[in-house]
Amino acid sequence: MSAAATDPQNAARTDADLGRLDYAPIDVGLGWRLLLRGLIVAAVVLVLGLQVPSVVSGTYELSLLTEGVLLGILALGIGFLAHRSGLVSLGHTAFYGTAAYLVAIGTSHWGMGAGTAALIGVLGGTLLAVAIGALVVRTPGMGFLMLTLAFGQALYQLCVLTSMRPVTGAYDGLTLKMSSTASVFGLDQAQLSEQTSFWPVAWIALVLVAFALWVVGRSRLGLVLEAIRENEERARFSGYNTYLPRLIAFAVSGASASIAGVLFALHASFVSPDVLSFATAGNSLIAAIVGGIATLVGPVVGAILYIFTQNEFGSNGNVELYTGIALVVVLAFIPGGIVGGFSRLLGPVRRALAARVRAMLGMREGQA
Amino acid sequence: MNLAQLLNGLALGALLMILSSGLAMIYGLRGVMNFAHGALYMLGAYVAYATCTRVSWWLALLVVPAVLAIVGALLELTTFRRLQRRSPIEVGLVTFGLALIVNRIVILIWGEETLPVNAPKALQGSVTFLGTSYPAYRLLIIGVAAVLAIGLVLWLSRSRTGLHVRAASHDTETSAVLGINVDRVSMTVVALGAALAGLAGALAAPDLSVNPEMGQLILINVLIVVVVGGIGSIGGAMLAGLGLGIVQTIGAVLVPSVATLVPYAALIVVLLWRPTGLAGKRTA
Repeated sequence: MSAAATDPQNAARTDADLGRLDYAPIDVGLGWRLLLRGLIVAAVVLVLGLQVPSVVSGTYELSLLTEGVLLGILALGIGFLAHRSGLVSLGHTAFYGTAAYLVAIGTSHWGMGAGTAALIGVLGGTLLAVAIGALVVRTPGMGFLMLTLAFGQALYQLCVLTSMRPVTGAYDGLTLKMSSTASVFGLDQAQLSEQTSFWPVAWIALVLVAFALWVVGRSRLGLVLEAIRENEERARFSGYNTYLPRLIAFAVSGASASIAGVLFALHASFVSPDVLSFATAGNSLIAAIVGGIATLVGPVVGAILYIFTQNEFGSNGNVELYTGIALVVVLAFIPGGIVGGFSRLLGPVRRALAARVRAMLGMREGQA
Repeated sequence: MNLAQLLNGLALGALLMILSSGLAMIYGLRGVMNFAHGALYMLGAYVAYATCTRVSWWLALLVVPAVLAIVGALLELTTFRRLQRRSPIEVGLVTFGLALIVNRIVILIWGEETLPVNAPKALQGSVTFLGTSYPAYRLLIIGVAAVLAIGLVLWLSRSRTGLHVRAASHDTETSAVLGINVDRVSMTVVALGAALAGLAGALAAPDLSVNPEMGQLILINVLIVVVVGGIGSIGGAMLAGLGLGIVQTIGAVLVPSVATLVPYAALIVVLLWRPTGLAGKRTA
């Protein structure tokens, strides 16, 4: 896409800034106090989340939550990239799927232990993200969307080729074969597929990924990314390398997708071309957008919501209808998604409350 | 490879050409990649099925473009016009959502199974063409596409509206300043693009039969065609569509194992080598 084609729209967009997908108050900069606060929040969330299996009674509900958390990790990566660098990807299935297939191929064809295969999966998916990212992050806007879509779909077509059947199993998929003594995260194959024993793995992964993305987003790199997103040319003229930060952001978000893919494969014990499909690419992006990509919680909320909707309406197939409606409604009327919309709604209330508290404590405006 | 295979390629290329010309026109004017284009194509095929089972296939050739033009006008009014100040990516994603909705509505009306559409009696057999026996119906597809392509090119290059479309595609802001009513031009283009997509669906229906997945299947190829041809270039998109149809069909004969990868490889090579597409405007 040419600069000339986008610039008029960008120029005319000032009054519509509030309507932007990635709108959020500036939230960069990281000091020791903030880092400490983030760590405490992450630890609390981690501990609270680990109690979920004792609160949620049914294994079925827990399995849906787990599925939602895994999709959430994928959506987090997509949302991070879209929010921090304005690059909207329809091809993160490439990393998600590659990582999942590497686990399956590693355990069943190459006789790897589950731990090694998981590591290979994350590394392989991330390396692929670096390789593809090196080619595509220079292309902005619609071109980026199309290129990522093309890479993702090319991998899907490659995976289902008849000549690939010995490796990927083509349309039949591939079952993980782990030896009975093999274990990863201290769990053997049966425990990995079992809901209550797998839940801590998924939850810890989610919190770690979210915390890592938060730190990266608030670091100096995040600041540079923000500058590049707002005006690439200006950032370049100010002496910043605008290529490397975007590549790093792409790789980080690809790594999140890879982690999600590895966990999915380990939990399901089975990988099918579905993990590379256009539908998965679209749904994970939609989950991130509907939840709200400008926040850390948004994509996870969107993903869990999607899984529950799918479960509720999947039997008669209407999930597609509701997903479409949700996407249109959010994009047209609730910029910032569910979480962004809520926090904007609650913003005045929160500010008023904070002012009351400060007044009660006799503090001046601006002191925390 | 023989003449029949080349003609098969031409028939597929003709469909891609009709679809991608509409998509390229909408992109040129609104800067938005219309992800609902596949859904419009599918809707066209289903409306053709409905007309065909009740009256006749020939009537479908008139009804489908009319119905789809109305759908296109609604799309312009509710989406492209209302959201024209938003970023093109967001509007593109809105059309993605609309495509999901249309898909489901079509399934709720006509069901998920594949429906057969019979070509009119006169066209069901084969004819001898340049010494090769070839299905008459596919020759009709090629013929209609050729007529449409010539008509479209003449319309764009000779008529006043065509001039406005080209001007607005080139530079929307300046055209508006010079007194071109961009909203009205866009209305014409989106309605026409939708009508063409529907017509492509109606033409494809007897040849490929009708099912809910047909829109999504062809959408990716059409998107690829438009990007390869050069974003915003209508002529480039038409040529790329024709070319991809031929390359894909011949590829399926020569190297069947990897033929499905051909469009993706083409897209990746072209975009990395020439980011604006083969016929795209050269900008910084």
